[in-house]
Amino acid sequence: MDNLLISAINSTLATVVRGVQVVPGSAIAIDYIKNSYQNDPFRVVLELGLAIYAVKYMLSKKYRIDQNPVQLTEKEIDELVAEWQPEALVQPLSDIQRMELEKTQVIVGAQGLKPKVLSTGKNLLNFASLNYLGYITNEDIKKKAIETLHKYGVGSCGPPGFYGTLDVHIDLEKDIARYLGTESAIIYAQGFSTIASVISAFSKRGDIIVVDDGSNFAILKGTQISRSNIKWFKHNDMADLERVLESIRLETLAHKKRPLTRRFIVTEGLFQNYGDIAPLDKIMELKHKYKYRVILDESNSFGLLGKTGRGLTEMYNIPAKDVDMIVGSMANTLSAAGGFCAGSKEVVEHQRLSGQAFVFSASIPAMLAVCASEAIKILGTKQGEKLLKGLQDNAAVFRNVMLGASQWIEMSSVAGSPILHLRFPNSALVGLGVRTRDEERMLLQEIVDEVASKNGVLITRAKYVESQELHLPRPSIRISICAMHTKAEVEKTAQAIKAAFGKVMSSRK
Amino acid sequence: MTKLASVYKTDYVQALDQHSQTNLNSSWVNDKGAWMTNIILICFLKFMFGIIPGITSELSWTLTTLTYNIGSYIMFHAVTGVPFEFTQGAYDGITLWEQIDGGVQFTATRKYLTTVPIVLFLLSTHYTHYAPFAFFVNLVATVINLIAKLPAMHQVRLFDINQKVEGTTD
Repeated sequence: MDNLLISAINSTLATVVRGVQVVPGSAIAIDYIKNSYQNDPFRVVLELGLAIYAVKYMLSKKYRIDQNPVQLTEKEIDELVAEWQPEALVQPLSDIQRMELEKTQVIVGAQGLKPKVLSTGKNLLNFASLNYLGYITNEDIKKKAIETLHKYGVGSCGPPGFYGTLDVHIDLEKDIARYLGTESAIIYAQGFSTIASVISAFSKRGDIIVVDDGSNFAILKGTQISRSNIKWFKHNDMADLERVLESIRLETLAHKKRPLTRRFIVTEGLFQNYGDIAPLDKIMELKHKYKYRVILDESNSFGLLGKTGRGLTEMYNIPAKDVDMIVGSMANTLSAAGGFCAGSKEVVEHQRLSGQAFVFSASIPAMLAVCASEAIKILGTKQGEKLLKGLQDNAAVFRNVMLGASQWIEMSSVAGSPILHLRFPNSALVGLGVRTRDEERMLLQEIVDEVASKNGVLITRAKYVESQELHLPRPSIRISICAMHTKAEVEKTAQAIKAAFGKVMSSRK
Repeated sequence: MTKLASVYKTDYVQALDQHSQTNLNSSWVNDKGAWMTNIILICFLKFMFGIIPGITSELSWTLTTLTYNIGSYIMFHAVTGVPFEFTQGAYDGITLWEQIDGGVQFTATRKYLTTVPIVLFLLSTHYTHYAPFAFFVNLVATVINLIAKLPAMHQVRLFDINQKVEGTTD
């Protein structure tokens, strides 16, 4: 019986061995296993374990590790589905939207000091466009632009990195750098995207940006797309800025293991939403104390502030080289298009590959670059000084009239600023019984309409993408002073606006 | 619901940035050429160590395994982030192994890259004739490499290695 069993096992084993030997390469495997044993079962177990692990790994099914961070139960899913109400594809217009559509003035023909509007067909005196020095209607610049158009055509047809760079672009970069007194400068095709691109070219995830909460929309978007840690300080409040910087310093001290991060202070020269000016001297002091870099948006102050229009740095007598990045727009004062960033050679060259708006946009048309170059040239001459003087005088005239009506009109703009924001004082709003933002906007629009129909003056409310703003400024009328207006025109307009404010207020009482 | 929303928000911004373009830092490991190169590199290593005058077979095999394991550990598990990118640091603090195939586990490339060190270990122990010291060194190097590749270790940081910097947003 035993013999039978043993012989049966033997014959089975022999068959298995023969079967295994038929498989190609099996001799090597058998040899390997025989060799591996080496009188050490522990090692065999280890190796076998590894081999089994490899096979198990090979046979596992793939899966996403981070598929759904929030696990909902069936019941929760049902509840959410039941709760969901589909939104109408097109929402009915709200009162404010309807007003916006009806009351927005459309200009027919060329932009200028007295453009023709579609609604009445009349020419209105323009206090709405950012045409501070009247370059839009400057004949010399226009002539140059036409000459350039004949030479280069309209578009540059390519991003600067490929074949979009012309000699006039390089000239403009040099002009800006020379004018500001920085080492180098780079030009972007669009004013709005310049600051956003500059911020995100330097500041990445984990870096820290300290921003003035009165900054314009472009800065807000720039800080958001940079994915950095954003800290806000109160508008132009240096004590608050110092508090924020100090808190960051203490936090860094508490976490010594953290790697060093890049740090930036971002602020605006002349604030688009308030018409006031950043205290650059104090900011530079804090920058040196806490070791930050400063990104200064001079979109509105470039070409306006300072004795010869070199911007905030000239006004505070600080060398432009000390500010790490000066960003500006050529679409405002220079009446061309695009933006620029001036700074050290390293700062500028870094953007040629890392500034997304520079790399991925076609460069600005040659004629606009020439316009900007010409505009800067004029700024440096006697004519430029005269224009700046005229602008300051006009702004002062307007401002003085407004100051005479402080019980109706609140103004956040400083003396010398060509951007004037006119708001209802809070006390007056309470007296009028105006509670919501929309009501306030409606009231301001009444003033805009009144001035347009009665006095032939084109002004506008300051408009915001309200759903996207973080620190929404109060509704206001934004006046842009132009150097080309006569003093009498400015005086008349200011009086008219003052009267309109008074009329609207009294009609509500 | 606010808590849920915030979980979604942070994840979706990072995920959106990560998937806004092909991650060229990790996509190459899926190329067939990259698989072949892996083998060629190992053969080259063995060859180079083998021709050192007077070297024993044990030592050359041990050096090969050790070099491969240390090299691949540095490459896949020690270096983080992406050197050239336009996503504002969406992969900061994420190792190459975690970037492969967008973090999906048990893909063909992962299986391949996990099996290679195991096979290399089995081969080398065999050719080192089971010298205890060589066996021990090879085993430790391989096991550390394999542990780092475990799905359970995905974005897990031990002993402060590659510790992520926590955001300080308010």
